[in-house]
Amino acid sequence: MSLIEVNRLEKVFKVFKREKGSLNVIKSIFKRKYEIIKAVNSITFNIEEGELVGYIGPNGAGKSTTIKMLSGILVPTSGIVKVDGKIPYLNRKENAMNIGAIFGQRSQLYWDLPVLDSFELYKKIYRIGNLDFKRNVEFYTELLDMQEFIKMPARQLSLGQKMRANIAIALLHDPGIVYLDEPTIGLDIMAKSKIRTFIKEVNKEKKTTILLTTHDMDDIEQICDRLIIIDKGTILYDDKLKAFKEKYNKDFMITVVFNNDIKTLPDTRFKIIKEDGPKKHILIKKDDLSFIEAVKFLSNSYDIVDLSYKEPEIEELIIGFISK
Amino acid sequence: MVEYRFDVFFRIFAHAAGYASQFIVVWIIIDRFESLAGWKSYEVMFLMGFNLLSYAMAGSFMFNFSRLLPARIQSGELDEIFIKPLNPFLYLIFKDFAGYFGHFILSITIIVISIIKLGIKLSIIKIIFFVITLLGAMLIQMAAFVFTSVPAFWLVKNNSLMDVFLWQLKSFINYPLSIYNKTVQILFTLIVPFGFINFYPSQYFLSKNDFLMFHPVLQYLTPVIGVVLIISAYRFWLFGLNHYKSTGS
Repeated sequence: MSLIEVNRLEKVFKVFKREKGSLNVIKSIFKRKYEIIKAVNSITFNIEEGELVGYIGPNGAGKSTTIKMLSGILVPTSGIVKVDGKIPYLNRKENAMNIGAIFGQRSQLYWDLPVLDSFELYKKIYRIGNLDFKRNVEFYTELLDMQEFIKMPARQLSLGQKMRANIAIALLHDPGIVYLDEPTIGLDIMAKSKIRTFIKEVNKEKKTTILLTTHDMDDIEQICDRLIIIDKGTILYDDKLKAFKEKYNKDFMITVVFNNDIKTLPDTRFKIIKEDGPKKHILIKKDDLSFIEAVKFLSNSYDIVDLSYKEPEIEELIIGFISK
Repeated sequence: MVEYRFDVFFRIFAHAAGYASQFIVVWIIIDRFESLAGWKSYEVMFLMGFNLLSYAMAGSFMFNFSRLLPARIQSGELDEIFIKPLNPFLYLIFKDFAGYFGHFILSITIIVISIIKLGIKLSIIKIIFFVITLLGAMLIQMAAFVFTSVPAFWLVKNNSLMDVFLWQLKSFINYPLSIYNKTVQILFTLIVPFGFINFYPSQYFLSKNDFLMFHPVLQYLTPVIGVVLIISAYRFWLFGLNHYKSTGS
């Protein structure tokens, strides 16, 4: 039995449809039109203990809705969701003892209390034993470099410090599963790197299962073993990160600066994916053309100022994958 | 902190003064006409005082629960509460108290004055029943807060509901139900049982016999009604939770 089991899970929202025009606004007070939106549409996956899973997709793909169903906040419309053998929304309190979570930029810290006092509060809420508490606080303070601000009230902390303290809170009670929704959003490179190292370290030390949603593909590349891609409520990909790279790394990109701004390239083998004036980022399939062939073709047909080659990053692979 | 302290004192004063003016107006009018449907001015004062005291007790716990719920739904704060191993209902009730000191001072003063002026003899049984009834009335008022705030799970904004049920409708019971027509009496006894907050139990304390079309046993039922209502309010809350949609993030 897997730690997390999700089987044909669905969540449907009824959303009020707003129409334009002042007459329609008045009409809508009496008779409303609703749209049925399937935020999560029959998804199935299993996660084993100790896995590091990146759960990604564009905004509104259904990531947060899935996590909210996994953590017992939302009741599914249909399908099965089980965490550690139990249904989260029916065993909300029990489930809460075994999970830690971070939702975007919301803070679990108490504004006026020093960070350490907030920790003490969560010690009470989660009934953490003295010994475990001391051990975890020391371990996390060390790993997340929190000595400098642990006695400061939360309101004086920087964004990065707050996020570190929040991650420590999410893990204070040694949860088996941690849901991290955008844990590095808005942070500088140093803070991001600290958090990534920390997540990997905790996973190694405590066998904590981690489900991570993010828009920062470096998070995925550096933390996760497994990748689940969701879009429009449906899972598009679910396998090892390595396998994804091998399978979909079939393109390469060249950045070309043309002498005069050309509008299109006549050849369909060249796909312009981004342009800044005369500078075009062009995606080419390895099967269609080799790098040398592409360079020859372009330099023969056009007046080129500069040209560079790049293997695509995971972010581009995923964008390409989703837009297919 | 000085500004903050000033704010607290000023609020106590403003609350007390606002309600006191209401009491004074009613007292002057009834005193001028000697009685209102057979109720003397101090008896009506007792009714109003009992309503205000039980409201202040309930509101201390429930005012912010109700007022902040829509904002908590919108901001996603509720999501965080749900993933803590706590009962969200109790957590939200005890999270922030509202300062109702002005209400307490005023209502207790009014009740004490009314009891003295009416020459009511206080036996042990009467005092015990007073306390139990007060708690029952508090539960009815708390249930009213819950019933008006749960629709926020669907409507997101529920201010107008609170306005109608908590304030407009409840101002009716500042006067004896006997002054209203039958429809209103039935409404406040069977449908929105605010009559049990003060009108029916006051019959016992003031030794009156003004039971409209109903049985005199109603004067003892406030604690029972209170418990029944708070339990149904809690069930309604749980029902609301199941329909909770959260907000996108």
